Amino acid sequence: MISKLIRRTHMYLALFLSPWVLMYTLSTMAMNHREFLRDLAGGGPPAFVTEREMPYQLSETDPKAAAERILGDLGMHGAYSAGKPQADGTLVIQRLDPVALRRITWQPAARTVKVERQQFQTSAFLERMHRRRGYQHDVALEDGWAFSVDLFIAAMILWGASGLWMWWEMRVTRRTGALVALGGLGLFVFFLFAM
Amino acid sequence: MNFLHLNRRTHLYLALFLLPWFLMYGLSSIPFAHNAWLHEMYGPVKFTPRFDKHYEAEIPRDEEALKSFGERVVRENGLTGSWGTYRANPKQVNVYVHTFLSATQVTYFVDQQRLVATDRQFRWDNFLTGMHARGGFNHPLPLDDVWAVLVDLVCLGFLTWITTGLIMWWQLRGTRLWGFLALGSVSACSSCSWPGCRLRVPFGVESESIPSSERICYETLGMGLLRTSRRGCSL
Repeated sequence: MISKLIRRTHMYLALFLSPWVLMYTLSTMAMNHREFLRDLAGGGPPAFVTEREMPYQLSETDPKAAAERILGDLGMHGAYSAGKPQADGTLVIQRLDPVALRRITWQPAARTVKVERQQFQTSAFLERMHRRRGYQHDVALEDGWAFSVDLFIAAMILWGASGLWMWWEMRVTRRTGALVALGGLGLFVFFLFAM
Repeated sequence: MNFLHLNRRTHLYLALFLLPWFLMYGLSSIPFAHNAWLHEMYGPVKFTPRFDKHYEAEIPRDEEALKSFGERVVRENGLTGSWGTYRANPKQVNVYVHTFLSATQVTYFVDQQRLVATDRQFRWDNFLTGMHARGGFNHPLPLDDVWAVLVDLVCLGFLTWITTGLIMWWQLRGTRLWGFLALGSVSACSSCSWPGCRLRVPFGVESESIPSSERICYETLGMGLLRTSRRGCSL
């Protein structure tokens, strides 16, 4: 009974999370070959293109409050990151979106706000998906994604443990399996101390 | 040995061989996902001084000279590991020397001709994230390239697991319906969290962009029933 439960949990969890496995695998390959893929796409990170630029006034001085106000006024609520304002007060906000990253620049001296969209590039999209995590954004959808990442982490550990259990139950594979596992572990430990 | 037997054994032995990488990537995702919590628990990263000495070197002007400068600093100061060289500002060049188990930050103050090195104290979260993030073919040591090839092999292993796992599932006729539901419900979840869909969460926070009338989305209705729609997703 326990054996069957472990087998079914291993399998259904894998079926449920297979899109995550696929996404993390492809994005890891994209990051491992970043330079090559960028060269293929013309070199450098994808360019930004201006979507709109308009007159804008803002009274907030706190960067976080200012960023939230600007995003709200533009109808672009959601996950974002903003650096410290520059010496002239210019504030740059990144509206985090895996498909379409947007850069919003508010220039208090010119009293303008500019919205730019980064051109789509598959490898950049995969990298953003790979790095999407954490509960730091006040957006329910992002929290939902962060929870799915936590679930995926727990599943990875569970797959490892349940996989070992299932292997041990198959007596005929114990010897070869142990040799293969030791080979993998040996290679890993070698790199751990050699690099 | 027939195809199905080969498929099962491939799934099993590949998993056993790549288990250390699999667990490493799984465990190291925790400090990435809960960075703020760990930072609160451990506090800031601590460094201990290694040396502070007079050092004469030509100021690197371009990328190649910067790489040579880093190599020279590592070679002449008894440092071991891979490294990256960065020009922080016109008066400062940083060389980060790292192995999986250690990291040293070397700073060259150009106008003072002074070289300062500090060792980062070992911390589990740094160790795990360092292993997780290591990859790529643009590092100075040949072993880095071998590791990058291994990262590719682990990725191919993951793709093989998906394929062989799906074949094994399909052979278990009794599990097909629930298996389809498991696959289908994740499609529903992921399509509704997909950035191209406009999703309204129950307490009124609206997120994301670009509703697309052409996009096929799944809607989750009631207790996990699924249907497809050519409208944007909304809950």
